[in-house]
Amino acid sequence: MRGGRAASLVLLLLLAACSKEKRVLDADQPVTDPVGAQDPRTRQFQDNAYQVAQGGRYFAWYGCSNCHGNGAQEPLDLGDGRWRHGSTPDRVYAAIAGHGALGARILPEQRWQLAAYVEQLPTLDTAYRRRQDTDQVGEAQAGNWSGPIR
Amino acid sequence: MTNEQKAELTRTWADPPGLWGFLTTVDHKRIAARYICSTIALLFLAGMLALDMRLQLSQPGMQRMDPQEYNEAFSLHGSTMLFLVSVPVMEAMALWLVPLMLGQRNVAFPRLSAFSYWLYLGGVLMLWVPHALNITPDLGWFEYPPLSGPAYSPGHRADIWAQMITFTEVAALAASVNIVATILKMRPPGMTLARMPLFLWAMLIASLMTILALPSVMLVTSMLISDRLVATHFFAPAGGGDVLLFQHLFWFFGHPEVYIIFVPAIGFVSAIVEVFARRPMFGYRAMVLSMVAIGVLAFGLWVHHMFAVGLPRIGNAFYTAASMAIAFPAGIQIFCWIATLWSGRPRFDTPLLWIVAFLVTFVVGGLSGVMAAAAPLDLQLTDTYFIVAHFHYVLVGGAMFPLFGAFCFWYPKATGRLMSEAWGKLAFWLIAGGFNLGFFPMHLLGLMGMPRRVYTYPAELGWGTLNLVATIGSAIAVLGGVVFVVNALVSLRRGKPAGPDPWGGATLEWAAPSPPPQHNFDWMPVETSLAPMWDAKDGLAVMEGLATGSREVLVTSLVEAEPEYRQHSVGPSIWPLVSGLAVSALFVGSIFTPWALVWGALPVGAALTLWFWPTRPRATAGPFARRSG
Amino acid sequence: MVRPDPMKWRVLLPAFAVTSCSGAQTPLDPVGDQASQLFSLLTLMLWVCGIAYALVLAFLGWTLWRARHVLERDPPEVAPEDRRLNHGLRIWAGLVAVGLIILAGGSYVVDWALSRAEREAALEVRVTGHQWWWRIEYRDPATHQWIETANELHLPQGRTALVLLGSADVIHSFWVPNVAGKMDMVPGRINQVALTPRRLGWFRGQCAEFCGSQHAHMAFDVYVDSPAQFAAWLTAQRQPATAATDPVLARGAQVVTQGPCAACHRLRGTPATGRAGPDITHLASRHALAAGTLPLTRGAIQGWIAQPKALKPGTMMPAIPLSAADADAVSRYLVTLK
Repeated sequence: MRGGRAASLVLLLLLAACSKEKRVLDADQPVTDPVGAQDPRTRQFQDNAYQVAQGGRYFAWYGCSNCHGNGAQEPLDLGDGRWRHGSTPDRVYAAIAGHGALGARILPEQRWQLAAYVEQLPTLDTAYRRRQDTDQVGEAQAGNWSGPIR
Repeated sequence: MTNEQKAELTRTWADPPGLWGFLTTVDHKRIAARYICSTIALLFLAGMLALDMRLQLSQPGMQRMDPQEYNEAFSLHGSTMLFLVSVPVMEAMALWLVPLMLGQRNVAFPRLSAFSYWLYLGGVLMLWVPHALNITPDLGWFEYPPLSGPAYSPGHRADIWAQMITFTEVAALAASVNIVATILKMRPPGMTLARMPLFLWAMLIASLMTILALPSVMLVTSMLISDRLVATHFFAPAGGGDVLLFQHLFWFFGHPEVYIIFVPAIGFVSAIVEVFARRPMFGYRAMVLSMVAIGVLAFGLWVHHMFAVGLPRIGNAFYTAASMAIAFPAGIQIFCWIATLWSGRPRFDTPLLWIVAFLVTFVVGGLSGVMAAAAPLDLQLTDTYFIVAHFHYVLVGGAMFPLFGAFCFWYPKATGRLMSEAWGKLAFWLIAGGFNLGFFPMHLLGLMGMPRRVYTYPAELGWGTLNLVATIGSAIAVLGGVVFVVNALVSLRRGKPAGPDPWGGATLEWAAPSPPPQHNFDWMPVETSLAPMWDAKDGLAVMEGLATGSREVLVTSLVEAEPEYRQHSVGPSIWPLVSGLAVSALFVGSIFTPWALVWGALPVGAALTLWFWPTRPRATAGPFARRSG
Repeated sequence: MVRPDPMKWRVLLPAFAVTSCSGAQTPLDPVGDQASQLFSLLTLMLWVCGIAYALVLAFLGWTLWRARHVLERDPPEVAPEDRRLNHGLRIWAGLVAVGLIILAGGSYVVDWALSRAEREAALEVRVTGHQWWWRIEYRDPATHQWIETANELHLPQGRTALVLLGSADVIHSFWVPNVAGKMDMVPGRINQVALTPRRLGWFRGQCAEFCGSQHAHMAFDVYVDSPAQFAAWLTAQRQPATAATDPVLARGAQVVTQGPCAACHRLRGTPATGRAGPDITHLASRHALAAGTLPLTRGAIQGWIAQPKALKPGTMMPAIPLSAADADAVSRYLVTLK
């Protein structure tokens, strides 16, 4: 009996691990905003490494890193864990959507991804964040592109 | 030897019964058998992946597989075939054959061979359990950064691949060290290096190559995990690193790897040709020197995998010369094999059919390789289906066909029964014919512009017909594979009983009974020529002196194989399995946290200490005696 | 300067019964100097390797033929006399060595010829590989500015274009087989390849280094124009985006230049200045969409904007939900961007 419970626990952990690793390449993406803090769709973004990484790429593409990049000072530093607009997923989403003209251009699917990325920023250490930025130095940042990686 | 002594010998070398015996055995034949069965199962699994891909590509614009599934399929297919099938099966055949061919009772380090298998199994599980859980690595069998770096490959898939490599490479190193030590120091008296069968030369050279090449890939995959896990900058150009460093380090291993797969096949071909031509190999010295040349040259070619990355022309030109040069010893060997058959009295049983298929197929692969060796021309050929065709021709034609032949050849020795000739010939024609039908068109597809690793292609480019032919051929080959395996399984029960020497073999393993008892030979044979079984018309010369009450093997000198001393050979032990589990925990944990290296080292240290704990007091006589005072 | 003539060499090439020797993406139909050199080398290789293989098969065939009278129970020959075979081995070794020297020599000659072409560049083009599209910039000979387009390469006939290759993310590879061999686009390096096309027409290039989920759909069109046509084309590309001429087009322009499109795409002369995606100032002057994935038609454009991941799963282009009227206006506007 104990063996069975242990086995199912392990299986559950493994299955949880799998959903983290799923690559979501196809067209079935949400186009509406989250409904409250408990929207079940939040899980599929926050817990998925691919969606978080996509959020990281769009963070550069939409120009967020121009102000909120690695090394930003307060109150622009998104990695300090101080959630000035609320820390629940829907509040983070709303903060992105309500970001004036910049926020208006970001589509719902990308807002979900960006929210997932932003929410886990405080858990990353600076070295790791810098490492990701180093690889993405050739990506454009809104209207700026500094050329291929040399 | 009296009957009592024989019974004692059998008891001494017996394994404990049941599951405990299975887990603790150090019998090289049992370990090799489980290795070979595992590789055959994986060969099929990887073959199914290949069929899946071929179905997807059989027509333009097919939507059976989405890009994620396809990328996972080719990554898993390549990684399995290269790391989990080709190298391990060669090592396994060596593990089984080397002591038998040397007239010995076991390998030099029995527990190390068991450890090698458990780590190999760890590597298999490391790759296939994630596949069952749908988190298959999806970046190919060599994951170039920055695609495999932390920014472009989120999650742990890339780390799973990298750590699988660590498992299999430690297993390969363990097996290779064992084989080198056995071949160099445990030859029967009279088997000087000049009288060593070509198969043993092949395994010696392949194992030495393994020892020199594998550290490079372990290093580079560890550097990749380090980049991903602890934010180092090895492969980050904007951080001072270099993307090409990965490629250099990987291919420094990767090129010798394919020769590590091919050189044992040279051994298989030579053994089979000798026996079925019924004459000793023509050009023994040329064959040995060619193998050594291949072993050495293989380390100087790796940049030919990188001709398109923009290195200086003159550098590329050097590697063009080296890559072409290696065709010279290979060409010599082809002549020697055909010459042996030409001047001998060939008998075309199934093993020799496989050798004929090898000659016809491998030479095509070698020649397409010579074409790709020219750096400028490679700029049109690399990363296309031409190269896919090339490496399948050399790997399947050059390694798999001799392997199938070797399997049929030594099956009677291992099982005591012969495989069915009729079904064996059917399997042969299906596999050899299907393979050529399936892969020859890929040369043409590459020359028609089809790149590699594409999950689909447009109809306008006219690639559909040849792709369909390739799919049909591959399916026929897989069918042949099924026939081959069914033949092997059915012949276990219904095969014609084979005596110790059904083919008229030349080397010492044919002196042992079929199947050999756990101690292999009652007496140690003495070798007087290159083909002792043929020269010994009225019985093989043997020597006695090894104990029957304890496990002993004979250690001989390096070149002349003069007997030096009797070595105690270790019996069954659980420590290889325990150490394997501890090492596996360390490897798997280190994907998730660097602290696994620290905490994981403790159980590994404990297990290894218990493994090496001395069980006997120091010797008091002989060259290694403890001197008192 | 002697130009290699591919037709001369093709006579020697054994016919490939099932291949098409002509095609828009094949090294077997050389259009450029570089590809012609390589085609000559390929022909040399096929002859030398073909002869070598024929010799091996002949020896093997002779062996099999001789073996038909072998008796089953012959005992093994223990100490055979091998003088003739030793002689044969020496001859074979000599042949192999000579063959390899010829092939290596041919390779060096072609390599040297290719390196000379790179020194005569008349046009500079910068191509940057992105996941999964091509950013193509031409250096304007008049102003020395870089004119940016995407996914379609135009080359003037008879001139050498020096293509500078870089990558914005992962390793890609630039390959137009009809014109030249491939060259990887490696992050951290700027590689270069010279292209000297001699024939007018349309050809196709494709990424040749696995770069992620849509590697299969990272292709580009190559148009070889006469020098006059090329100059005219470049002049047109230099212009800012066409202005909208009626209310529907104006609505489309407004959605594109002020809506989400502008975050990633650039239309020169409008407020849309995004650099993350392809420059679409002259989108309708191109013949394909999404790096060779779709034809450039109004329907395809609308489908792409509405659901890009349905057509190219994994693409970074987001789905843009537009009303039917807006979608219609946007596609009408985009096809005027010639």
